[in-house]
Amino acid sequence: MHGEAGIRAMKTFSSNHLRNQKVTHTFATDWLRNENEAMRRDVFQAIADPTRREIIAMLAKEPLNLNAVAENFDISRPAVSKHIKILSECGLIMIKQFGRERYCQARLGKLKQVTDWVEKYRQLWEAKLNALDEYLHELQAKKK
Amino acid sequence: MNNPNDTTTKHNTLTITRIFDAPVDLVWRSWTEPEHLMKWWGPKNFTSPACKIDFRVGGKYHFCMRTPEGQDLWSTGTYREIVPMKKIVCTDSFADADGNVVPATHYGMGEDFPLEMEVNITFEEWDGKTKMTLRHIGLPAGEMENLTSAGWNESFDKLAESLT
Repeated sequence: MHGEAGIRAMKTFSSNHLRNQKVTHTFATDWLRNENEAMRRDVFQAIADPTRREIIAMLAKEPLNLNAVAENFDISRPAVSKHIKILSECGLIMIKQFGRERYCQARLGKLKQVTDWVEKYRQLWEAKLNALDEYLHELQAKKK
Repeated sequence: MNNPNDTTTKHNTLTITRIFDAPVDLVWRSWTEPEHLMKWWGPKNFTSPACKIDFRVGGKYHFCMRTPEGQDLWSTGTYREIVPMKKIVCTDSFADADGNVVPATHYGMGEDFPLEMEVNITFEEWDGKTKMTLRHIGLPAGEMENLTSAGWNESFDKLAESLT
């Protein structure tokens, strides 16, 4: 789709120019925050796949170029590329060009945000269920 | 007896299991009748000033949770499956006061909250009490715990630094 290609081009553009420029980084972060709702939700679908989780695990230790990632899997190169593309599109991986090589780098900050969210959500449910527990006690005490 | 109250993140779901010292029909009604739901929907010191339930498959709910500071958090969803006294499956999203789905950022929360989740609640009679299991479907929380186990925290910090 035209829009998607445009967004991808912009992302590559902005990530190639980030480097140590904090101002640019902040701008790009804000811009990325405003992007398509559906892409943000896809983080969960992205990490639901076991191969993609392995890829993230690998890249968390060190950035690797595409070949190095693909070597670790029995599936075809195009299949690995597709997984990497999905991870990159939902923001969990950054692909940077260094000369002729394209290196994949995990954006663990993003992954951690997602984990933190799940934890908060669980805590909220626990609090609600504690309230339900108390309410049920009260209800039954009144009946007696 | 093992601790019957359990929060685990295994397989592909966030699962919370609780035993309530009350009969199934009372617990069921606490979840499905607005007059009851309003009394407990939210952490301690939160109140629930408004609660609408159209309890049928395809029907919607629209709840408000008010913080002690007076901020209102609305949520909404559609009932997908109902088995009386046994099961409720519904969607769950943040909403505005008019019942429209809004992203979590509307309430100042992170951009990674999914817009809509599926919640599956089952009720079982358990020794005169009620065992209730709540599951969030499709939330790979278990896998994420593996990914982010100890030893990764250093990586997090290093990489976060290198990316700024």
